[in-house]
Amino acid sequence: MTNGWKSKSKNGSVAGPGLVKDVIRDRYLYLLLLPGLVYLIIFRYVPMYGLVIAFKDYNILMGVMKSPWVGLLQFERLFRGPDFLQILKNTIIISTYKIIWGFPAPIILSLLLNELKNIYFKRFTQTIIYLPHFISWVIFAGIIMIFLNPVDGFVNYVIRTFGGEPVSFLTEPKYFRAILVITDIYKEAGWGTIIYLAAISGVNPSLYEAAVMDGANKFRQMWHITLPSIRPVVIILFILSLGNILEAGFMQIFLLYNPLVMNVGDVIDTYVYRRGIVDASYSLGAAAGLFKSVIALIIIVLANRIVKRFGEDGLW
Amino acid sequence: MIRDTTGEKMFHMINHIFMTLLIVLMIYPFWYIVMYSLSNSKLAAAGGLFLVPKGFSLESYKTMIGNVSFLSGFKVSAIVTVCGTMFATFFTATTAYAISKKRLRARKFFTFLILFTMLFHGGMIPTYLLVKQLGLLDSYLALILPPAIGAWNILVMRSFFVGIPEELEEAAKMDGASDLTVFFRVVLPLSKAVLATVGLFLAVAYWNDFFSTILYITDKNKWALQAVLRDIINNAATTLSSQGISLGFQQEISESTVKMASIVVATLPILMVYPFIQKYFVKGALIGSVKG
Repeated sequence: MTNGWKSKSKNGSVAGPGLVKDVIRDRYLYLLLLPGLVYLIIFRYVPMYGLVIAFKDYNILMGVMKSPWVGLLQFERLFRGPDFLQILKNTIIISTYKIIWGFPAPIILSLLLNELKNIYFKRFTQTIIYLPHFISWVIFAGIIMIFLNPVDGFVNYVIRTFGGEPVSFLTEPKYFRAILVITDIYKEAGWGTIIYLAAISGVNPSLYEAAVMDGANKFRQMWHITLPSIRPVVIILFILSLGNILEAGFMQIFLLYNPLVMNVGDVIDTYVYRRGIVDASYSLGAAAGLFKSVIALIIIVLANRIVKRFGEDGLW
Repeated sequence: MIRDTTGEKMFHMINHIFMTLLIVLMIYPFWYIVMYSLSNSKLAAAGGLFLVPKGFSLESYKTMIGNVSFLSGFKVSAIVTVCGTMFATFFTATTAYAISKKRLRARKFFTFLILFTMLFHGGMIPTYLLVKQLGLLDSYLALILPPAIGAWNILVMRSFFVGIPEELEEAAKMDGASDLTVFFRVVLPLSKAVLATVGLFLAVAYWNDFFSTILYITDKNKWALQAVLRDIINNAATTLSSQGISLGFQQEISESTVKMASIVVATLPILMVYPFIQKYFVKGALIGSVKG
């Protein structure tokens, strides 16, 4: 690489004299590293290579290497398909709703939690609100379906008691996205407060004291002290959310959707599953997956750059 | 001592009310399901508040606990969770330890290799094809291997290992220990907290994993618990009739009570363990988020 390296490599680079000596000295470390590395290569990097089938017409009998190249044909099939535009729209709309409503939720919740003076009540509340995060989506979706059941679900029971007509929530397109967003917040907002609370507790108390002496009330304190102090955390998590904009919560949707709400609920991943796995259109599915991963990567890199241009710390 | 203004007193009161409502909101759905599952199905079918069971009955549980596919799902999930957690925790630790050592040549390269997997991945289809090519379809390994080692857990463990004082290693080395000995005899015993944390995260992930079964397992007898559960939730009547239980003739149980009993039983392991390990999870989430 370049000249002028120190004779013992202290910074973990490859280049520099004494390479063989160091490798032999650290041979057991490399041994420890090996299994994990092999695992990552097999289960993470080989599939990355497998994405080439997005440019091929994958034939099981011929395998990845021998299947014929078709260039961008699969992508054309993908983008020209009758549903693609709708699917892309659904994915982006659902994700955007989740960001607009779901991103502030843990922040506000942690601000409120921070104000709880009784430490036992605070701890108890936290224990409870972390819980939904640990329930599997299978179980949670089951609970949701039970509660929204048009015949004997609790929500409809309440509606009927107030004289209304029962609604089949999960099969109504106009409610489906809202259900996705609300239940997602229910499940994750509590857990999301952990990192914000940690950041909030790191704020210097004398800042608050000074503000109070200047006559600031609670809301001003939050707005001018607490929020700006947690801004770095918020920004990083926001960039990560943006990077996930094409994710839209596959597991949740997969478990809750049905033919009646396909037009509003079908997202890229559910499409990949149906066409790629169930229909065994592997190349098509791979093309959709590649599309998703590339866009996600681009968004994260761009968002990171923009944030840095504003003078904040980015992801890297 | 500065006293709260009236406005602040108001705020605190509203905040407490809000939090209490939140707690109720989080607990009630599950409470409802437990109560319903303990109810006599005829009485329960009318719907209602369910603060207590309507006509106490354990029949639904008796039905589910003896249920063949439910038990099989439990068995599969238990095996996968235990084996997977041990495997993944151990190898995550070895990898994390190696890259925590600054003197490791090409450390930055390896660290990048690991981190990059967080930014970009092959996706559903290539991973599925890989598992298929490896001949692992319909095997326990298909449920254990693909989700096992991830960059996130490696980073959490690495942060911890970096924090272990060098003096300990140096002292052991002076006694003639190799890196392996240091790792097994010095570092690991000191790392019980982080091993527990990461291990618990992995255990929960394995226990809750539903999609791996959907992707890789076609033999119904090899389904993990979550898949069995979903099957029961979607069509309890069919599942049970295939085992000779006809719901139409039952007095005390119905599709609903049976579904709910399954949900309760499947959630119990997590609920029982949760209060004790909550602090590990919180700490782990913190370390992972701050460093990652």
